[in-house]
Amino acid sequence: MRKLLGILAVCLFVSIGTIKASDADKLYYSLRTKVLSVKDYTADVRMKIDINRMRIPQLKGTLFFKSPDKMRLERHGGLSILPKKNINLTLSNLMPDGKVTVIDMGTSTIDGKKLRVLKVIPEDELSQIILAKIWIDEANMLILKTETTSRNDGTIAMDLSFGKYASYALPDRVIITMDVKDYKLPKGITLDYNDVPTPPTPPGEKKSKTQKGTIQISYLSYDINKGISDDKFKDKE
Amino acid sequence: MIQLLRIELYKIFRRPRTYISFGIITAIVLVIQLAMLSDGKSFLSFIMSGVNEQFDIQGNVLNGYLVTYIILQSLLIHIPLLVALVAGDALAGEANAGTLRLLLTKPISRAKLVLVKFTSSVIYTVLLIVWLAVVGLFGSLALFGQGDMINLKSDAFVMLLQHDVMWRYMAAFLFATLAMTTIASLSLLLSAFADNSIGPIISTMGIVVVITILSNLELPLFDKIKPYLFTTHMIGWKGFFDDPIPYGAIGFSALVMFLYTVGFLATTIFYFNKKDIKS
Amino acid sequence: MEPIIETRDLNKSFGSFRAVSNLSFTIGHGDVYGFLGQNGAGKSTTMRMLLGLIYPDSGSVFINGTEFNNSRRHLLSQIGAIIERPDMYGYLSGWDNLKIFAALSDKNIKAPRLHEVLEIVGLKGREKDKVKAYSQGMKQRLGIAIALVHKPQLLILDEPTNGLDPQGIAEMRELILSLSREHGKTILISSHLLHEIEQIATSMIIIHKGKKVVEGKVNSLLNPDDSLVEVVLKPTDDITTKLASSAYYDNIAAFQPDMVTFKMNPAHTPALNRWLVAEGLDVIEIRSKHSLEAYFLSLTNDSVIKN
Repeated sequence: MRKLLGILAVCLFVSIGTIKASDADKLYYSLRTKVLSVKDYTADVRMKIDINRMRIPQLKGTLFFKSPDKMRLERHGGLSILPKKNINLTLSNLMPDGKVTVIDMGTSTIDGKKLRVLKVIPEDELSQIILAKIWIDEANMLILKTETTSRNDGTIAMDLSFGKYASYALPDRVIITMDVKDYKLPKGITLDYNDVPTPPTPPGEKKSKTQKGTIQISYLSYDINKGISDDKFKDKE
Repeated sequence: MIQLLRIELYKIFRRPRTYISFGIITAIVLVIQLAMLSDGKSFLSFIMSGVNEQFDIQGNVLNGYLVTYIILQSLLIHIPLLVALVAGDALAGEANAGTLRLLLTKPISRAKLVLVKFTSSVIYTVLLIVWLAVVGLFGSLALFGQGDMINLKSDAFVMLLQHDVMWRYMAAFLFATLAMTTIASLSLLLSAFADNSIGPIISTMGIVVVITILSNLELPLFDKIKPYLFTTHMIGWKGFFDDPIPYGAIGFSALVMFLYTVGFLATTIFYFNKKDIKS
Repeated sequence: MEPIIETRDLNKSFGSFRAVSNLSFTIGHGDVYGFLGQNGAGKSTTMRMLLGLIYPDSGSVFINGTEFNNSRRHLLSQIGAIIERPDMYGYLSGWDNLKIFAALSDKNIKAPRLHEVLEIVGLKGREKDKVKAYSQGMKQRLGIAIALVHKPQLLILDEPTNGLDPQGIAEMRELILSLSREHGKTILISSHLLHEIEQIATSMIIIHKGKKVVEGKVNSLLNPDDSLVEVVLKPTDDITTKLASSAYYDNIAAFQPDMVTFKMNPAHTPALNRWLVAEGLDVIEIRSKHSLEAYFLSLTNDSVIKN
């Protein structure tokens, strides 16, 4: 009897799961279609890069994006700095494409909003993305948070807030959190002026070589789907 | 005093040797600029390899501001020699030429003479730094253009927006002037001890080199004395290219060098006042 | 009237070497003072102490009655000096050098005065040349021009004839005499050229090993009868007997078979020569030593002063 009940329960769970999964699939695919509807955009942005050992002021510039994976920051003669990742730091790139398995993880409340949480696993074994976790505001059909684990770049998290471009699923502000490796230059090259003595590492605590860094991009305005030539993304030396 | 200073400057700037320093600065700056023009990209990718691994940096990285920084980094170590050429010669050169005894039979106080020699050395130093700014900074800006500046420290990557750089250079040049003033006062002190100018010039460089080595040795033994060595503070100009600027540390460095300068100058006056002029 | 220079018990040592020892002397206005001594006797050290270049270990210097250290600046404006070589800025012209040192003299000296001193020292027309192109004599003259330009009362000249050729020495002698006679300067001059000093000095001080040996008017110190006359002879056996019986026997200061030195007035040399010839002695050479030189040698009695 117990055995029977167990089998019944499993069947019930699986069937509910399947029903839910198909909802979730639908939700995911429609969200992806919405995101992919933006073929290109030009946006005035403010970018704040906050990465340990990198002291970069807020950068103002124009961000060019072209689907699927071209991105460039132009700074009116200034320097553009973007993290070099195997996947591009755009929402469309952080959502696995092709055939995926979507698992509904239920709901979670963030900032007072009840969000649906999906886990998305690409079926393509060669995909850069291994797993993506997505928090969705179902009412507005917007992704408010993603956590994407990739093959080479660790986990990249993205927090999005939306405003007047919500209909295009384009955020007003994105905060990207990612893993950044430490770097060091030999002292001989730099001849540092050591204003602050380096604090000694407490014994037993290993200095981690990888640290979290964030990039906050505020989008002031978008020009959407106006067509951008590929030349725009070529290196101008 | 003004009259004496005018005469001293007249003597310095009528001497062909004085202009050698300006020539040397121009030559070194041009060599570095040419090297950067021809091979700057590979140099840059070498020093930026750590950063380039993770970041895609585009735009005119090798701009005038960065080139100036590279120039200052390599040149400011050698400028003490050029300062010593004049300050080390100030008293010893006159002793060697025999003009010191003629000068001192004129109604001028020795302390005033030392102060004038010091002031004229400082004026010369300021002109050297101004010249360095002209050929180094403005020359590089003309050759390499403007842009945001990247400053690579061994443990940090600092980026400065282009509109935020020029004032930092002005502050850095001002700081470098103070550092070189300390060198001038050291050189003048050594000059008071000697009766020929080679001694003080070489001794100045010797002292600067030895103390710089001590400043840079990563040995616990020297850690305690490092903050009190003036060479530790001579590169304080780099502080202006950090973010946030370590004003406290720069202020302390400036204070240390100011105190050294006053100390060297006071010792020079004290010693020179008592010195028998036998040359 | 106060003496223009007075030193009281000046002492100076360099390490264990006593350069000047209890040196006191006075120099009056208007004279040319010869300051004599062998090399290393302490002349330059003393002159440097008079100018505040070297500090005495003890003792004091008074210029016009004022202690030097109390009024260094004021007193130096009344003194012109050349110490040892007249070294100047070789890369500048004579005019520039003169202008520089004139400007340092605390007096407002204008171009006409510069021309005037150049005229006095005979450098007119060469003032625009670079000093490194000057001959030693021209440098000495420029040195004197620099010493003179601010119209000092007192000139301190240390070996001003050093490195000059005979003509230069003669010209320098004339210049110094004219500075004294026509321009009324008091001059303290050191030299090892004793006969030069003899011709221009009215007073003299002789120091030896840092100590004063004698000080006074040249006229009263030097007696022509004290001059030395050296006679070089062909040696003969009977020379001693001939000399012993002669009227010059008492004048003999030194005797060697081939040279006899007489202490006598050089004016009597012709008579001495006639007597030697009359006695059948073969005279090879007769030379008289200047009275100052003789006097100097008799006082210092050390190595010979070279001419």
